[in-house]
Amino acid sequence: MQEGLDLMPQIRDKARELLTSGAVDCVIGYERASDGLTARPLFAYEPNDVDKLIFDQTCAHNLARFLVNKRDSTVAIVAKPCDSRAINLLLAEKQIQRERVYVIGVVCPGIVEATWGQIGDKLQARCQLCREHTPLVYDFLVGEPPAEEPPAEPYHDVAEMEAKSAAEKHSFWAEQFARCIRCYACRQACPGCYCTECFAEQLDPLWVGIRIAPMENEVWHIIRAFHLAGRCIACNECERVCPVNIPLSLLNRKLEKDVLELFGFRSGLSAEAVPPLATFKKEERLGMSE
Amino acid sequence: MARIGVFICHCGTNIAGTVDIAEVMAAAEKMPQVVFVDDNKYTCSEPGQASIRDAIIANRLNRVVIGSCSPRMHEMTFRRTVAAAGLNPYLLEIANLREHCSWVHSGDTVAATAKAIELVRMAVAKVSRAEALFPKEIGLTKRALVVGGGVAGIQAALDIADAGYEVVLVEREPSIGGHMAQLDKTFPTLDCSACILTPKMVDVAQHPKITLLTYAEVQKVNGFVGNFEVEILHKAKKVDHSKCTGCGTCWQKCPEKLPSEFDHGLGQRTAIYIPFAQAVPPKPVIDTEHCRYMKYLEFMEQGKEGKKPPQCLICEKLCPTGAIDWEQQDQVSTEQFGAIVVATGYQAFDAAVYGEYGAGRYPDVISGLQLERLMNASGPTSGEVIRPSDGSHPQTVVFVSCVGSRDDQKGRSYCSKVCCMYMAKHAIMLKEHDPEIQSYIFYIDIRAGGKDYEEFAQRAQEEYGALYLRGRVSKIYPQNGKLIVCGEDSLIGRPVEIAADLVVLATGMIPSAGAAEMARRLNISCDSNNFFIEAHPKLRPVETLTDGVFLAGSCIGPRDIPECVAQGSAAAAKVAALFSHDTLTSDPMTATIDAMRCIGCLLCVEACPFNAIDSLVTSDGRTVAGVIESVCEGCGLCVSTCRPGAANLRGFTQQQLLAEVMVL
Repeated sequence: MQEGLDLMPQIRDKARELLTSGAVDCVIGYERASDGLTARPLFAYEPNDVDKLIFDQTCAHNLARFLVNKRDSTVAIVAKPCDSRAINLLLAEKQIQRERVYVIGVVCPGIVEATWGQIGDKLQARCQLCREHTPLVYDFLVGEPPAEEPPAEPYHDVAEMEAKSAAEKHSFWAEQFARCIRCYACRQACPGCYCTECFAEQLDPLWVGIRIAPMENEVWHIIRAFHLAGRCIACNECERVCPVNIPLSLLNRKLEKDVLELFGFRSGLSAEAVPPLATFKKEERLGMSE
Repeated sequence: MARIGVFICHCGTNIAGTVDIAEVMAAAEKMPQVVFVDDNKYTCSEPGQASIRDAIIANRLNRVVIGSCSPRMHEMTFRRTVAAAGLNPYLLEIANLREHCSWVHSGDTVAATAKAIELVRMAVAKVSRAEALFPKEIGLTKRALVVGGGVAGIQAALDIADAGYEVVLVEREPSIGGHMAQLDKTFPTLDCSACILTPKMVDVAQHPKITLLTYAEVQKVNGFVGNFEVEILHKAKKVDHSKCTGCGTCWQKCPEKLPSEFDHGLGQRTAIYIPFAQAVPPKPVIDTEHCRYMKYLEFMEQGKEGKKPPQCLICEKLCPTGAIDWEQQDQVSTEQFGAIVVATGYQAFDAAVYGEYGAGRYPDVISGLQLERLMNASGPTSGEVIRPSDGSHPQTVVFVSCVGSRDDQKGRSYCSKVCCMYMAKHAIMLKEHDPEIQSYIFYIDIRAGGKDYEEFAQRAQEEYGALYLRGRVSKIYPQNGKLIVCGEDSLIGRPVEIAADLVVLATGMIPSAGAAEMARRLNISCDSNNFFIEAHPKLRPVETLTDGVFLAGSCIGPRDIPECVAQGSAAAAKVAALFSHDTLTSDPMTATIDAMRCIGCLLCVEACPFNAIDSLVTSDGRTVAGVIESVCEGCGLCVSTCRPGAANLRGFTQQQLLAEVMVL
């Protein structure tokens, strides 16, 4: 872990100011988990709660996920760059109102691999591929933005997968999906999965059966990935929370790569950008050109 | 419990020649909820339809599957058939056993039969989940908007008005008339263009049912068939037409001289002007960009340094009725219409693209339309054909065909259709003007398809001595006061050079400026050349895929005058047929949004190509999407965009489609 990362006082001061003045009803941030090492979400409603707030390289959760549940109140949120893209996504999809969210943006040093009671020193895979270290939307910025972003080539593992034959891909994913216990943690952690009635829970039509079986598992994962095509903001929370370690980022990032190549679009970079899969432009006709 | 009847059509041997009908019927009998199976040699024939009606009644069928040709062919027919037996017409499903099966698998009976069975199985599964649908009645405004005042738009406006309906004709230029007003004579009869057009222009102005809005543009179109809401921009004329008598003093005395657009730069007009003598309305507008007083005002406003422009005001001082109105500003009005006829016409291809021909560089290289103005008695030379460079009378005139037509390299692969004919006309007319003139016409093919057209083109050669040279012109350059035209006579395989006095480029037709934006505003489609696309090139030539929007004339593609007039009348007939109803029936196969499932992301609003989805607030305060049923065309894009499955499409519900897939 990087030492000397002292963003805490600034975050606490700003949170205290917002709660004391009544500008917000709640500050969503991080506190130390009960293992004394890792971080967990904190909902601070009182100025007294503010001293629990922390920020360091264990603060993995994408807190933007909670914003849709707080629609009816005014909240402040501690947002890393990837979380800020989720905020933009939610704004673009009209799930939250900008004036009801105060964004305390944090310049992110990258989050380390950690499990309960154990912190590693390696950055998470998503952070090694990160292209934005400064939040894209914020009202108050904590930390010093880097002079320049590292050049990124984040799709080498996707390219490896693409190079495999259809049969190899199928057997790879069959093996992965076979482990799925359909706990839907991937969905619950995802800031883009906010439907009140998920297709997986609909009975009419019954898109996917509820039993845990290879076919149904596959349908769940493929539709989940497609519902995030052109929308996924690459926080990789789905993969982090998966209890059986299914490499969901491979699926998500394959679609992210396709959307980038086809439409030159990355989700969440601005609150105005409409996902390309919801629009149609004549020049996008694929395979229909001369 | 559904009681499904399955009817398999032989379509003569079209289906039965490839598909084993007996086997399909045997399979259909075993399908769930199917209680009756029959076949017919021709189901669409009256006995075929009667057998379906009888079977519905005799067997108490409440769902019907017909295995036949494409639903695009006979769905409407068969809907009427089942409706005649008392069944809701939307409880019918067609399995396409012809286009999707027998025609594409001829020679493979086993596979085709297996596929036919699967198609019927899917149709049975789908129809079992079908729901009765009921069309809705919507009101309509019996008032038509015609966009574009060329001959097509004029004809459409007159015919709609004669049918008894109100018409608003919008023209962006200061006068109606379009290109036809610029022409001298018309092929193949050589009658005077103005003589046959101007009476129609006057009719438009005087017709009690027509409101003529010149110097106006359509800015925005909302709504749907029967209920369009159109924003019209009225450009400031700076002349109060209610006071102006069209006496002409102002444009005779205005000191600012400018090249006339109407005369394609060969003549001059003033800053306050009517584009041509027979203009309708015969009242001027002020070109605010070039008016001296407007320049003066601009100078004063910006507080510029230097010499002050003169305050002019000559028109205002001389106007006997005080019609000059400097206060007039651009205005926007919103009006209601039930139908729109688009007749925005064409513009001439800009020959400057062909650098080797020197248009724009050599004054004696002119376009076909410029020659029209030179030959026209009311043109800049009062009908005297002269060389623009020195005013002398040309003796040798060379025509170059297909300038901007049939040329892939210039991005215009289509034939402009009228050029062959107008070149022949020009050759004839020139000879009539001056028997000493010799015309040479470089051509690729002579395209003279049309009544009396071929005879006309022949006459140009045989009676009027026009020399036709088959080949392209490679280069034109000036030498000793002449233009040397280098080309090839491909029939004798030799290069030719002609020293011409005047060169006429037969420039083709391209869509008028702003056609693509107009298409976007109207929600209609353009082809790759930006010509508008008809609903069907043969069977629905003046309709578009947007209900209530019709097309006429050369905005669809190159057209000659008779075709433009015919299309103007055709579009008017379509409008009149639409207006003959007091209400419109809406297609019930529209999208629906389940407000409980809707999460209000409103991506469907973005996805909808018809602007048929709006946001609304539910009683519990949530913002959700809602379908405007009368606008919805039932394309289903919202359904595929909707993640929580809130959007659904009547007649093609997700439940129905999933049922189809699940039986495979």
